[in-house]
Amino acid sequence: MVDFDKYVLSNGLRVIVHRDSSTPLAAVNVLYDVGARDEDPQRTGFAHLFEHLMFEGSVHIPDFDTKLQDAGGENNAFTSNDLTNYYDTLPAQNLETAFWLESDRMLELAFSEEKLAVQKNVVIEEFRQSYLNQPYGDVWMLLRPLAYQQHPYMWPTIGKDISHIRDASLEEVKHFFRKFYHPGNAILTVTGNVKADEVFRLTEKWFGDIPGGEPYVRSLPQEPVQTSARRLAVERDVPFDQIFMAFPCYGRGEDEFYAADLLSDILSNGSSSRLVQRLVKGRRMFSEVNAYLTGNLDRGLFIVTGKLHEDTGMKDAEQAFQEELEALRKEKIGERELQKVKNKAEASHVYSEANVLTKAVNLAYYELMGDAGLLNRQPELYSREEADHLQETANEMFKPECLSVLEYHSSKTSP
Amino acid sequence: MIRKMTFRTQAPAIQLPEQLAFDAPEKLRLGNGVPVYLLEGGTEEIVRLELLFLAGSYHQHKPLVTYLAANLLKAGTEERSSVEISEVLDFYGTFLQVEAQKDIVSVSLLVLTKNLEYVLALLQDIIQTPSYPGSELEILLKNKKHQHIINSGKVSYLARLHFAEQLFGPEHPYGYRLRKGDFDQVGREDLLAYHRQWIHPGNLVVIASGRFPSEMMEELESHFGGASWKAPNESGDEPAFAVPLQKADPLFIYRKDALQSAIRVGKRIIERADEDYIRLAITNALLGGFFGSRLMKNIRQEKGYTYGIHSALVSMVREGYFFVSTQVGTEVCKAALEEIYLEIRRLRTEPATAAELNTLKNYLSGNFLRSFDGPFARAERFREMLVFGLKPVHYDLFLKELHEITPETIMETAHKHLHEESMIEVVAGNR
Repeated sequence: MVDFDKYVLSNGLRVIVHRDSSTPLAAVNVLYDVGARDEDPQRTGFAHLFEHLMFEGSVHIPDFDTKLQDAGGENNAFTSNDLTNYYDTLPAQNLETAFWLESDRMLELAFSEEKLAVQKNVVIEEFRQSYLNQPYGDVWMLLRPLAYQQHPYMWPTIGKDISHIRDASLEEVKHFFRKFYHPGNAILTVTGNVKADEVFRLTEKWFGDIPGGEPYVRSLPQEPVQTSARRLAVERDVPFDQIFMAFPCYGRGEDEFYAADLLSDILSNGSSSRLVQRLVKGRRMFSEVNAYLTGNLDRGLFIVTGKLHEDTGMKDAEQAFQEELEALRKEKIGERELQKVKNKAEASHVYSEANVLTKAVNLAYYELMGDAGLLNRQPELYSREEADHLQETANEMFKPECLSVLEYHSSKTSP
Repeated sequence: MIRKMTFRTQAPAIQLPEQLAFDAPEKLRLGNGVPVYLLEGGTEEIVRLELLFLAGSYHQHKPLVTYLAANLLKAGTEERSSVEISEVLDFYGTFLQVEAQKDIVSVSLLVLTKNLEYVLALLQDIIQTPSYPGSELEILLKNKKHQHIINSGKVSYLARLHFAEQLFGPEHPYGYRLRKGDFDQVGREDLLAYHRQWIHPGNLVVIASGRFPSEMMEELESHFGGASWKAPNESGDEPAFAVPLQKADPLFIYRKDALQSAIRVGKRIIERADEDYIRLAITNALLGGFFGSRLMKNIRQEKGYTYGIHSALVSMVREGYFFVSTQVGTEVCKAALEEIYLEIRRLRTEPATAAELNTLKNYLSGNFLRSFDGPFARAERFREMLVFGLKPVHYDLFLKELHEITPETIMETAHKHLHEESMIEVVAGNR
């Protein structure tokens, strides 16, 4: 159970505090409600490029990282298709340093052509390292536009095309900042050895005078219901074939999300799971398998994937996965098997609460979904699920016409 | 344009940890002599039980044997099938983490405290009487071989493997480079022999952390303290290997289509318990041990050559090494190498500025605090002490040396241990 207090500043900034006196540390998390889905289709990769620029100095403080390190702190950030998240951990007595730094970069960045040029290079190298110079690295560049034809989830956070990053101008970057980086579009969470009153006082002091900004009204093109199966086959210089099957899945805030998540656990969470037992061990068709949800705020994807052994054909691989999905649609999951995945969900939840930073990140995420208190409801939302509902959800999700298949063929005849 | 606000130009006052309250846990013993250490604490009802065996791939007679013997413990026993074992472990929401390293094999169970009692008998069984079914061995070998082949397409993997070989030589277990053919050479009897010789109570230390059930020691005693579970009569031979006397020449592994090259530069260094070690660790941090390091500032933040670059010290029980690692665009590979050597040289020729030293000290002291946060982190630190034979005072010493270190000491340390001419270089990719 993560107890918390909440407070909203007049400029719209939401702040949430959780005290954990067992640690000498504090974690400060700032979530901005902007992700790759909010990008202009001609300027993709911007949210992530922007994340890099947030470390390049703000209006009063030339070097974010150094000042935080001077206070014994450490930080990082991540960008997803839904949001951009920044976090700091530091000795609790130096909490105010994080407020000083985070508020200044929310107020205004110290933009410059030089810094932009360097960070564009860094991001281009990241793009090469993670997407291009890796076996199977371009999978999501292929799978997203296959599964999404309207919704901006069709591009990955790094961007659709490297040229979007290369061509980004300082003016565009500034515009992005003004549009998304203001108190009304942010959530601040503080956890660790801190007191709520003190955190609220510091929030007023450091964030109180930042102008609220224009509210961002999100209106994204929604993905139409898929009416026929899609298929893309590519050949790459990789040693083994891999198959990806994607079905449109529920958004993070929908009731069915929990049933879908448990279905993915039934398929592949742990070595007793169905795909591992039947297809990796029993029939020895795959060297590895996975089933998971992308877990997005808008409608995400349910992915089933596997790396094929040399003697497994692509068609047989797909057929084997289809049989497992059909089984979920036709047969009710037994009590013990269902209890097993619920127990796993409960345990994972408790493990995640053992860490002060994870708590800060999670509180912010659930607040973005509408209520930080959702964090504490997670175990219940899983445990109340029933086999009938899982079966209904499987029937709804795994319709043949909703399938997108990516066949990723190895160009080698033998590895 | 925002008007500058004077109060924002003033950094808030800071205060750093001077001392660390870490009391090494008391050494308890089970009836059969196995040492047990309990680190109780934490906010959640979770327990982590680690069975640490003090022998690893250094002791194996064939490649992969330690890895397989450790990872197939859960693949079946005389009493239980692989399916039964995974059903129980999954049903109780456990995470079983198996590490097979150079000097240790570790099996850690993370479990909700309320469920510990339901899985201990199983844990005992898989540790003490694994049967290593042939079919499970075949499957793991085949899948692991797949992974190896896939990884061999990554420049970073190639650089890492070849770098170890260049450092320690092809015969040394710390330097041995895995090959595809190795996957066809291991049989069930190799695993059984390894288990007999190295996975037994004579080699075991138990470290438990988190929140314990009321009868923790009794539970451990009944599952791991019995007199019937014994060390073998003949203790395993402690192999000895020579390391190369001369440093290897630079190695370049050509990959035609590479967009980036993976670089590793480094050398063998002093052991963990050496009196210079802490100073060397601080010196390394300045070079490449954190985001504000010289390498990161120069090569990522000023030049934009890479997404990331870092350097580290790695300790094994018998050896240790230092390395710089990065992936850079092939067109700047040469330039990046030059900058890496320049920064290594600068460590011994250019004193850290007051600001640099201040950031380094403060960051490291905060990081030190982070590395002891919570019972699981403390258990990790404690394990490190055991494996490397450090005394608890070592950690107080770290803060003391950090506090006292001067730019001159750093330069001397670099001169003594990190001379740029003593470095081995491996590049995989294109240039």
